[in-house]
Amino acid sequence: MTNEIIRIENLTYQYAHTDKPALVDINLSIKQGEYLAIIGPCGAGKTSLALSLNGIVPHMTVGEMRGKVFVEGIDTTQSQVCDLAHIVGMVFDNPEYQLSQSTVLSEMAIGLENIGVPRDKMLIRIAEALEIVGLSGLEERSPLALSGGQQQRLAIAAALSMYPKVLVLDEPTSNLDPMGKEEVFSVAAQLNRENQMTVVIVEHEVEVIADYADRVIVLDQGQIVNSGNVNEIFSDIDSLERVGIRPPQVTAIASGLEKKGYHFKNLPVTLDGADATFSDWLSRSRP
Amino acid sequence: MSNIIECINLSHVYPEGFTAIKGINLKVKEGEIVAILGQNGSGKTTLVKHFNGLLKPTNGTVSINGIDTAKQTVFNLSSYAGYVFQNPNHQLFATSVLAELEFGPKNQGLSNDEIEARVKDTADFFQLHSIINEHPLRLSFPLRKIVAIASIYAMQPSIFILDEPTTGQDHRGAEKIKKFLRKLQDDEKTVILVTHDMPLVAEIADRVIAMWSSEIIKIANPREFFFDLKTMEKTKLQQPQATALSNRLQKRVLNEGITLTVQETIKALEKVVNQQIN
Amino acid sequence: MAGEVTIPIAYVSGTSWFHKLHPIPKLIWAIGALVLAFSTRNPLFLSCFFLFGFLLIILAGILNNYLKVLLILLPISLSFIVLQSLAPAFPRPWVTISELGPFTIYQEGIYSGISLFLRCLAAVNFASLMILTTHPSDLFTALHKIGMPHQANFMVSTSLQLIPIVQREFIIILSAQRSRGMKSTGFSAVIPSIVPVFAGTIERIQQLSLSLASRAFGSKGLKTNIREIQATFKDYASGVIGLGCTFVGAWYLIYYSDQLDWSEDALLPVWFSEVLVVGSAVIFIGTILYFWRKAKG
Repeated sequence: MTNEIIRIENLTYQYAHTDKPALVDINLSIKQGEYLAIIGPCGAGKTSLALSLNGIVPHMTVGEMRGKVFVEGIDTTQSQVCDLAHIVGMVFDNPEYQLSQSTVLSEMAIGLENIGVPRDKMLIRIAEALEIVGLSGLEERSPLALSGGQQQRLAIAAALSMYPKVLVLDEPTSNLDPMGKEEVFSVAAQLNRENQMTVVIVEHEVEVIADYADRVIVLDQGQIVNSGNVNEIFSDIDSLERVGIRPPQVTAIASGLEKKGYHFKNLPVTLDGADATFSDWLSRSRP
Repeated sequence: MSNIIECINLSHVYPEGFTAIKGINLKVKEGEIVAILGQNGSGKTTLVKHFNGLLKPTNGTVSINGIDTAKQTVFNLSSYAGYVFQNPNHQLFATSVLAELEFGPKNQGLSNDEIEARVKDTADFFQLHSIINEHPLRLSFPLRKIVAIASIYAMQPSIFILDEPTTGQDHRGAEKIKKFLRKLQDDEKTVILVTHDMPLVAEIADRVIAMWSSEIIKIANPREFFFDLKTMEKTKLQQPQATALSNRLQKRVLNEGITLTVQETIKALEKVVNQQIN
Repeated sequence: MAGEVTIPIAYVSGTSWFHKLHPIPKLIWAIGALVLAFSTRNPLFLSCFFLFGFLLIILAGILNNYLKVLLILLPISLSFIVLQSLAPAFPRPWVTISELGPFTIYQEGIYSGISLFLRCLAAVNFASLMILTTHPSDLFTALHKIGMPHQANFMVSTSLQLIPIVQREFIIILSAQRSRGMKSTGFSAVIPSIVPVFAGTIERIQQLSLSLASRAFGSKGLKTNIREIQATFKDYASGVIGLGCTFVGAWYLIYYSDQLDWSEDALLPVWFSEVLVVGSAVIFIGTILYFWRKAKG
């Protein structure tokens, strides 16, 4: 496998006191530099899958794991979460729950203090990371005084300062307002595009995923039921409907027209794509 | 149809001196679904907290059902206006869904028979019978949200204030909420929806109130609102994708006006093609 | 907003000598003051000690913030006078000074009450001096340097951050439950108000621990600190002086405790004691009611 950074082999995980496994026989290879989106209904196992990427599952959860997860060749069951922190950065869905310090600067410093980075290097890394996410100048601000979007960008910056190769984001925008959502998606895309960061994002916003993702995997009841690029996944409307995911609105529009007898070579999945497809279709339909 | 909520020149300044809302003039008719839009910090939550008396005006007046809220307690107003908080975990505390549903009616001082009737009615409406004895904190997040809304429904207010009911939900959960909102509308309840979910607003709202920087900057029906690109840009809100598509096509080929939903767009496009062929 | 009752005791930035002093000597002084205050009941010593602390607070430039703390603490400490007067924590026999209805005021009670009140205030003075002039991170960095485990440090400082957050959540939850018709007072309000706070706090802490683990919390090996604390000669000197004063002072107070015990002498005229007890009770109960009403909104 060329530049494979994370490999999941036959991963099955069942939380204690539950009657069904949360993850069933997951096999997945994540390539360095790709933007991978994980979608699926509530309870499909998306969070469990995300948390298995840095060892939180199984080390900080109670349950039974079978199969393996390899992060840069390291078996997650054989190492601690803290030891993988410099490879995989994790951002969670509630911005505020990730914050614990009285200033942005000290929040940024936690990770670096934990791995023993010398003070002068710390300041450089922190400045770099804050610059990337657009929070420079806010070092002395209290994290609780930041907007939701800023808080989430701070969480991203805190992960970035550890120089990870992979950034995992578990529903990072579900608690944010539209502006905040835009900020987070923008930073994630920028990191992927300009810093070759591998981005793994669990999301419900299908329209945004269609714009940014290289690959999408669809999870349902713990299993990967579909995997492919955004066109393959989002134009398979029936499959999405079975799982309880809605397609991007433009795709639904095209599909609706197809059901009425019209034909499109490919269903569009993005706004730009739809603009082109429908403009073309309408102009071709002129006698 | 009467005005069930009326705000006249409403302002609220917090004790620390921060003006959260100013100059709010607003009339909501009974049976309307009104969406309140805006970025966090624009004053949406402060505004709606006046509708059940959690906040009192520092200037101007708020009337609910003709009653001036200034001298009313939250307890009194809670029978008229039910507020469902964004995070269901802020409201759920009991050991069973049943107990949650009973909480409101009990507080209202109803008799045991009346409480039982209300609970049954609520469980019917929201289809909660299968989980009536479950511990709320063991339910999935979408279900918890529904239980929270149901527990307010059990108090039978005529106004429902819902703070981001579809946030954090998956598609199925959001569809369920939409279904219940439509049912509420059929029952002629007034719904105040604070939300970021633009497709939901496009589909279900009668009117949209857009807030920016502690003021209302536009009140309109969804079609007018989403067509007003200047306001959309100012408030940094986005049109639903279907609307954005029709907007783009309108400039070039479509003359049907903007659409709000997937179904409308399909119909509009079909119409254009048929017109072209004929 | 209805229900805003915040705890005012937190770091206040400044440039006084005290602000610049190393956290460890300040901690020594605060603990030493506590030891000294509780080594005696003598009202004269305690009053002077209290005034000395007060003077230092003025010098540190934190008078305003200190007064805010005092505003809450003073009325509540007055309760000591009331309670002690009626039921002294003092060896019997007790001398009765006066009787007000069903309540009896004892000489030892007044003495004990006043001294407890002064002890409390004197100790608070020095504790406030330390807390208001020391940034928590500096304190924990200093503790880490003298060997306290990094994790323990961190837990405590994080818990401090949680206090205002939990307060805020509590206020939100009260609003949420009041919206369901819950009356804010009375026994039935306890569970609906408290359970969500607990559940929310636990969830928050769980999430935080995942976030921290993802940032290498718990890793072995060298830990560094972003804050720099240098110890200079004056810091060492202050620490030594603090320790010295504490030991010498405590020894003196305990050795001469008999001479310093003024409980036998009737300190105050009877009418004054009565006014003191009744006045304290009124202020104390009034303060409780004030905060109760303010929290109800």
